[in-house]
Amino acid sequence: MILAQTADLPGDLVIPDVAWSSFAPELLVTAMALVLLLVAVAKGRELLVTVPSALIGLGVGTWLVTQGSVVPGAVAIALGIALPALGFAFPRRSSMVQAWGAGFALAGALVLTGWQYVAVLDVGGDTIATILPQSALAGALANDGIAFFTRITVYLSTLLVIPLGYGYLQDRRINRAEVEPLLLLSAVGMVALATANDLITLFISLEVFSLALYVLAGLARRDPRSQEASLKYFVMGSVASAILLYGMALVYVATGSLSLPVIGAELGALGELRTVSAFGLALVTVGIGFKVALVPFHFWTPDVYQGSPSNITAFMAAATKAAGFAALLRLYLVAFPNLQTLWVPVLSVLAAITMLYGAYLALVQRDLKRMLAYSSITHAGYATIGVVAVSNAGLSATLWYLLTYAVGTLGAFGCIVAIERTRRGEVTLVDLRGLGKTSPATAGILALCLLSLAGLPPTAGFVGKLVVFQAGIESGLTWLVVIGVLSSVVAAFFYLRIAGAMFLEEADVTRPLPSASTGLSTSIAIAATLVVFLGVQPQLLLQLADTAAALVR
Amino acid sequence: MGMLSLTIVLPLAGALLLAFLPEVGDRSVKQIALVASLAALVASLVLLVQFDVADPNLQQAETWVWIPAIGAQLSLAVDGVSLVLILLTTFLTPLILLASWTSITDRVRGYAAAFLVLEAAVIGVFAATDLLLFYIFFEFTIIPMYLIIGIWGGAGRKYAAVKFFLYTLFGGLLMLVAIIYLYSQTPGGSFAYADIMALELGVTEQRWLFAGFALAFAVKVPLFPVHTWLPDAHTEAPTGGSVFLAGVLLKMGTFGLLRYALPIFPEATIEFAPWLLGLSVVGILYGALVALMQTDIKKLIAYSSVSHMGFVVLGTFALNATATSASVVQMVNHGLSTGALFLLIGFLYERRHTRQISAFGGLAKRVPVMAGLWLLVSLSSLALPGLNGFVGEFPILLGTFQTNRTAAVLASFGVVLAALYLLWAYQRIFHGPLVGADNENTTDLKAREVGILAPILVLIVGIGLYPQPLFDLVEPSVDRVLTEVGVEPLEIEPIAATSEES
Repeated sequence: MILAQTADLPGDLVIPDVAWSSFAPELLVTAMALVLLLVAVAKGRELLVTVPSALIGLGVGTWLVTQGSVVPGAVAIALGIALPALGFAFPRRSSMVQAWGAGFALAGALVLTGWQYVAVLDVGGDTIATILPQSALAGALANDGIAFFTRITVYLSTLLVIPLGYGYLQDRRINRAEVEPLLLLSAVGMVALATANDLITLFISLEVFSLALYVLAGLARRDPRSQEASLKYFVMGSVASAILLYGMALVYVATGSLSLPVIGAELGALGELRTVSAFGLALVTVGIGFKVALVPFHFWTPDVYQGSPSNITAFMAAATKAAGFAALLRLYLVAFPNLQTLWVPVLSVLAAITMLYGAYLALVQRDLKRMLAYSSITHAGYATIGVVAVSNAGLSATLWYLLTYAVGTLGAFGCIVAIERTRRGEVTLVDLRGLGKTSPATAGILALCLLSLAGLPPTAGFVGKLVVFQAGIESGLTWLVVIGVLSSVVAAFFYLRIAGAMFLEEADVTRPLPSASTGLSTSIAIAATLVVFLGVQPQLLLQLADTAAALVR
Repeated sequence: MGMLSLTIVLPLAGALLLAFLPEVGDRSVKQIALVASLAALVASLVLLVQFDVADPNLQQAETWVWIPAIGAQLSLAVDGVSLVLILLTTFLTPLILLASWTSITDRVRGYAAAFLVLEAAVIGVFAATDLLLFYIFFEFTIIPMYLIIGIWGGAGRKYAAVKFFLYTLFGGLLMLVAIIYLYSQTPGGSFAYADIMALELGVTEQRWLFAGFALAFAVKVPLFPVHTWLPDAHTEAPTGGSVFLAGVLLKMGTFGLLRYALPIFPEATIEFAPWLLGLSVVGILYGALVALMQTDIKKLIAYSSVSHMGFVVLGTFALNATATSASVVQMVNHGLSTGALFLLIGFLYERRHTRQISAFGGLAKRVPVMAGLWLLVSLSSLALPGLNGFVGEFPILLGTFQTNRTAAVLASFGVVLAALYLLWAYQRIFHGPLVGADNENTTDLKAREVGILAPILVLIVGIGLYPQPLFDLVEPSVDRVLTEVGVEPLEIEPIAATSEES
């Protein structure tokens, strides 16, 4: 097992000084976020912003190419050319420039992630490749499998969310200038969370993306539900952060270190300070539990998911969960493996309660976004099975599960956005009646994504559940898997209610048909394609998830 | 690509063609679907020709790499049992499509595509030799069937469709847990049937895993007391759906028991066999008694299915060569007889738009052809010697008598009750005074409808008179399974002799 091999690494781990390459995708996205903010400020004089930033991009790119880093150089040059080109293509439409710019940056980030995988992480040989963990900034960041896979999930989700929400925000007249920059910044925060290898970095990155999300949730200033969502998320999130910070302080008291690998090693040798560290662990669990919405720390989820603009909800559901679980995985598997006897039973019970409670409450919802909020709670329970399995298989299963969950959720929310655009306000089961007949494409894709969320073959969600269950059973958690299976049946019922309303009921002709803009259709189509592709041919990414199981310790 | 994968791919290709074809008329849609299903029939017949009857093992194997990361392969193969069931599937599907030719007018394209997908998935269930692939096909059959019941069904279709979905999903998911457990026990992690058969499992493990598998299959069969979804599903499904459900889908349960539950968990099988025999006997008698009291013909036949499938499980768990082979033959017989009955009910319903027995009476005077065929099919279903039902049920009882007398004696009452409810229903519908304008005006079967029934009737009589080829086909494979369980195949008088005497 790779976990065992890397256990003795900390002593002889040589920290490479190629620090920048460890977070190249983040650098790119952050830079673009700043440029886009400036574009918004420039108001009609975009060229004043785009031309200088393009020059910087070209300069950096050329320098990188001369240094031998061809791929990042090419990405920088491409963005340098794209920025002014966008300015010319969409004169006086800074929102369009922002959307396209953000899209290019995220696509570039995905390319750089791939480049990292090949070049920086040095995947050795053609045998089963193992991502060599690489740490940067004196060990504050760990650029390893968790980071790599979370990058894919987060950047992909953000990339899909931008075209998904563009027309929708415009319809609601809330396509404010800060949307894209905030989305980019929170994506960077999420990835930073996934790479954070010490408690301070972890906390800061958590706050970075949380703050951006608080603002995004309250984007609709005139909509009281959106304001409620924002305020609730902010208050609850702050409490959770405070508890988390308190827990971290206790852990620091017990171990005298902020670095996760050092904490991990120290906790093994603790005597009487074990109680303090156990308290710290408990508080950290509560704090992280809030972020990933494990029952009983899930109260904020339904209200926030329902009130926020739908594209932001999609982003929160897909990307935040991936980032939260990345942090959860790293904390428990790197810092707290020696306290396994304490947290494995607790998290297992939480996972069981989460799966059952989420599925049960989703049953009685009529509002679609609220239903998906409870469904996302249930999914957090499934992803936790992979964590409590405490194995490489479990780690890769959780990472993979989050990706499948993200594509399914994005597709489903995309369809909801399409329906909501012509309905104004809530989308309930009644709104879906007969959609299978009046709008077969939307209904078909929504049904496909729901099937994936329900975990039926041949969709991505099935493979997700399969690998998580495998990891659980291999670690002797059969009881937990059986509970997961039972909750799947309950969950299937409410997904089926949606499908039933669409396909088995007569259409109400007075209701307007869903309408999807080009961007929205593209996003939904990509999500649906991924749902099928990852379900039928999961080999490539499953292999990646497997190799992602190496940690910095 | 071999014949086996072609049998799966052809209907699937037809469905894809239908899904992506630009606007075409309903008639062309039906023709495309029919051609695809006939092509699958031809492919399966070629498979039969290539099949080596003497070889008891899985043959015609095809394997492709699929997800090496978790040790899953696309691997297919057939033995006698699965070949027979594949043939049954490919035989019934074109007939179902033809039977729906005029009765389905709403969303024809979806209907035809759903049946083709369903056909492909069911053949996949019978052909898969990788447990994950098997599970995927097994669960995937739920979705098209859910749509067929839910969209094209009767008044209570939503309730019936959801009930069907949740019952079968629940059973299936527990089986998934068992499958993953088996996978975790194989060295290196593999879902391949051969690797899993090679496992040495402890008795406690076997009990739990057997329970997981048996529950999934019991729901599908359906075995008492998890049968309650079936009457609803049958009653609400459109005619084609009922035929497919009775004819093929229920067989996935009994097939699964024979292919997976028995040979993988031999000790648990022997331990649980008396319990399953008991449940099948309860199902046989309970299904028959409840059928007797039905006022809706379709519901009556649905409960008779519970009873007849009870015989199949009884034969399977009698664990001797006679009864177990006969139970495979009985799967085919039930598919043919009950399928034909559902077709006839569908034809009658198209004419009268009611299925209440009390609404009919004396119809034989107006619809002599339908009455005659109905009687023939009823007689086949109640196991009259000379027709196919007899060559299945009689050896089942004969074989069960050798291993468990009580079960056999009790089950034989099921045969008597079957005669009662089927003939009584026949009598109430077709005999007695011809009252009311509706009954007066009922028209007889058209040539097209007789044509659809004809192939089934030929088999009903053919298997009844000369069942030996069918037994020859399944016996080696059944013997193989019984050897795995540790039961020596007993040499009993050849079955054909028994039936020819009668």
